[in-house]
Amino acid sequence: MPSFRVLVTVTLKPEILDPAGQATHQVLQHLGYAVDNVRIGRIVTLTVEADDANSARGVAERMAQDILANPIMESFECQVDLS
Amino acid sequence: MRVGVVTFPGSNCDCDTLEAFEFLDVPTKHLWYADTDLTDVDAVVLPGGFSYGDYLRSGALAAKAPMMTAIRDAIQGRDLPVLGICNGFQILTEAGLLPGALRANRHGQFRCAWQTLRVTNESPLFLGLSEGELLRLPIAHAEGSYYAPAGTLADLFMSREVWLQYVDDRGDLNTLTNPNGSLANIAGITRGNVAALMPHPERALEKAFGSEDGRRLLMAWLRGLQERSAHAS
Amino acid sequence: MQAEEVGLTSPEYMKIVELMHRKPNDLELGLFGALWSEHCSYKSTKALLSRLPHDGPHVVQGPGANAGVVRLDQDIEVAFKVESHNHPSYVEPVQGAATGVGGILRDIVAMGARPVALADLLRFGIDAHSLILLDRVVKGVGQYGNAIGIPTVIGDLAFSDTYRGNPLVNVMAVGLRSPEMHISASTARPGQWLLLVGQRTGRDGIHGASLLASRDFTEGDDDLRPTVQVGDPFLGKLLMEATLKAVSEGLLAALQDLGAAGLASATAELCDASGVGAELWLDRVPLRQKGLTAYDIMLSETQERMLLVTSDENLSQVVSIFEHQEILCSVIGHITASKELAVQYRDRPVASVRPDWLIKEAPRRPLSEAQWVSLKAPVAGGTAIAPAFDPRMVREVLSDRDVRDRRPIYRRYDSTIRSATIWGPSHDSAILRVRGSDAGLAIAVFGTGRWASVDPYAGGVGAVLLVLARLAAQGAEPLGLTDGVNAGNPDLAESYDAMAALVRGVADAARAAGVPVTGGNVSLHNETDGQAIWPTVMMGGVGRQPHPYSPLPDYLTASGDLLFLINPSELNLGGSVVALHHQGMTAFPRVDLRKVPHLLKSVSDWALSGVPRAMRAVGPGGLGAVVVRMMQGQTLAYGVEMDLKERDSDLTARLFNEVPLQWVTLVDSRDKDRAMDYWGNLGVEVTQVGVVNDTGTLSFKAQGHSWPGSTLLEAWHRPFEEGAYEP
Repeated sequence: MPSFRVLVTVTLKPEILDPAGQATHQVLQHLGYAVDNVRIGRIVTLTVEADDANSARGVAERMAQDILANPIMESFECQVDLS
Repeated sequence: MRVGVVTFPGSNCDCDTLEAFEFLDVPTKHLWYADTDLTDVDAVVLPGGFSYGDYLRSGALAAKAPMMTAIRDAIQGRDLPVLGICNGFQILTEAGLLPGALRANRHGQFRCAWQTLRVTNESPLFLGLSEGELLRLPIAHAEGSYYAPAGTLADLFMSREVWLQYVDDRGDLNTLTNPNGSLANIAGITRGNVAALMPHPERALEKAFGSEDGRRLLMAWLRGLQERSAHAS
Repeated sequence: MQAEEVGLTSPEYMKIVELMHRKPNDLELGLFGALWSEHCSYKSTKALLSRLPHDGPHVVQGPGANAGVVRLDQDIEVAFKVESHNHPSYVEPVQGAATGVGGILRDIVAMGARPVALADLLRFGIDAHSLILLDRVVKGVGQYGNAIGIPTVIGDLAFSDTYRGNPLVNVMAVGLRSPEMHISASTARPGQWLLLVGQRTGRDGIHGASLLASRDFTEGDDDLRPTVQVGDPFLGKLLMEATLKAVSEGLLAALQDLGAAGLASATAELCDASGVGAELWLDRVPLRQKGLTAYDIMLSETQERMLLVTSDENLSQVVSIFEHQEILCSVIGHITASKELAVQYRDRPVASVRPDWLIKEAPRRPLSEAQWVSLKAPVAGGTAIAPAFDPRMVREVLSDRDVRDRRPIYRRYDSTIRSATIWGPSHDSAILRVRGSDAGLAIAVFGTGRWASVDPYAGGVGAVLLVLARLAAQGAEPLGLTDGVNAGNPDLAESYDAMAALVRGVADAARAAGVPVTGGNVSLHNETDGQAIWPTVMMGGVGRQPHPYSPLPDYLTASGDLLFLINPSELNLGGSVVALHHQGMTAFPRVDLRKVPHLLKSVSDWALSGVPRAMRAVGPGGLGAVVVRMMQGQTLAYGVEMDLKERDSDLTARLFNEVPLQWVTLVDSRDKDRAMDYWGNLGVEVTQVGVVNDTGTLSFKAQGHSWPGSTLLEAWHRPFEEGAYEP
């Protein structure tokens, strides 16, 4: 079976407060950077074996829903590449 | 001899640290992170706490404060002595003023406990603390796992800059007494006139609180300062 | 919008129309819905709680304010309160627990007091999911408390399947203030400015209080859940510092924190308490996202916000204090003499209601004298039958989750920050030094679980007495109590009666002891799919500790010392760990309340007399657990030879009953006569139960059993993921 590399990007839903992003934003502004908004998320890299890219994505999405992201506060995106 | 204690937004051991020096009869000055004036202080302490909430990486945002630029200049210009405690250690590594980094504790949890430490190398920065001496101090941190690349770590040992290590009650190094996964059980390091440790000496000034070894440590640092300023004058 | 959508009944709606002489608009209806909710109005419990004793020689502020306040000495006052965050912690345990800590800390700050200590009182189920929730809640408590820099110095933890769908997360906060820092929500005057400071307002937790915490959960309610509130301890810290600075400089006229029902509740409570009106300009409220309606802004439960009232003269100084900390500070209205809360948005009036309608006119469930009397009626709950003693019971009890070592929990909390903790969470009460006073502060907590499961009245009594017994063991004078009541749906007779009996127990015990209850919290609807939790009260007590730097030890200190049991109880295992394991739930014993003041005073005086070497109050796990915990001390050098005269089932009952008002004390063998004389003169029974030796083992002289200390500690240190040892 081919092996796929899946990049799962987990971000806070837009309506959820991001204190860490807010504090980072404040410091970036103090340092003189022109920046309108900062949101902090995380990236999880998975290597999965699957028949094709679609089923690799399916597996990754189930993992994301199950544990990688907290559905109450976070959303996620999966990007699949053949590794 | 006047010791400055810096408050960053989110610092929460600043008051304890100021009071500790007052308890030791040392004149202090409260410094604000947004200021840059260090003219009337002889040494600076970066206290513990959660500067900027430990957001992004602990110490990373505070390392960019105007006061840190001033401290960097004073270290380069007049060899300003600096002591970092807990979050202060994290800020110093993030600012590149000490080598290495402090990562999340290996078990992933905050850890508050009493911990035995061994003075690994006698340092002129701490007069009266001799090699092999044991200290009992509280730790309280989530990101205290000391890390440095292999070459840097070897250099630290070679140059006798590894100052404090986590040990068991008998003074032996072992992984069981490593509270956070620090490389080589490192709890504190020195470089030049800059020293830092993860434990909190300001919380151990009197026996009633569990130990007075914090007072011994701070007194040793103050004696080191006096000795060096006497030499310089 | 319909009344039901904001949780109001049709009679309640009729009352609103009657009060207003017109139909409310949607926003007004939302304000009534929130403020007349169970969570904000205490509609089911107000009459009940008014029966608690509130007065005492040390009381500065009783119930009704953001927190109770008692006097420690001439120069220092103590503000303290317990609060629950049960429902949010079930939905999102880390943030739910974190925002719970933030919320109770702001209550303390709103009294002008600097928070100095936290205590967490937790209840969880025992299934795998509950243990994950426990881990997440502990993370949340630590995440907020550690970062804001307030030590968590003591706590209470117990488990039962009854809490599986409704875990309890109660947090007590304690603060100190100088008597000159008197500030409250009742001192606003017309002409003053209303300032909103802190976090930008978002669509967080709207109707969290009125709906989420005021109804039962059923499966599939996810869509009703509001946006999760996220705690920001960093901003919380800055907000606390700036607010306390403004208070200490005398710049504020009044102060109110924003909690449940956000700005709606804060403005209504402040205006009602001060007897004034206000005009609010919602366009001036800083928002985190676009498109918020007036309804959203008034009811948002965004964390880390405070409402300040200041005069025109002080306004610029207040603003500059908050600007210094880079905290948003906006004038959002002013106080009027009109007795109306008038809300404007986008230059139009959008609501006009009288604050007293929202607060004082809220419907209240009455409580007749006959009902009050009936709450004390005996419960047919079955008596505990003590099983014959089996030596394996010792490890069984020690390893029970309600008894075992809480260190895996409390080591995740900073208990030493502020450099004031002399005794922390490894003890039965916390002892803090107080800067500027010779006296220290003692804090003890205890919540019911098993104790109130069958006879809630007896459980309520027991919780109060154990808190007071723990303070007395240190010779600390009790100043006040706070109660966190957690129960099921008050509209169901069974749940209401159980909760009411629990409160009656608290009232009777506190009154008997002469200690006031100065404030607290009620969390109802802890009921999932028709299953209510055991009614559970989380008690916290604060005391004046006369010798903070030299606490009376709670461990063995010398070989040859004699162990005495003060006030040995009747042999009744009801509600105990052993009863639960061997028989199931049974009624907790009722105590004769007439002897309470004499016992507490005698024990407290004894603790200060200089005679005892050590002392501990008997609690969960009974005498057996106390003796083992005293063995542990700093080393395992000492052991105890127990010499009990009871046999078989009587021995089981003696060792493991959890009847309150018993203490184990140690005396030098040379002081035996002094001890016997002391207690004899007071007419209090004491009995020698053992002798300290240097074997490091626990042994039973008559029965010939013995356990090395390490075996006992292994049981006591059992991880929470694992069940108890079973004989």
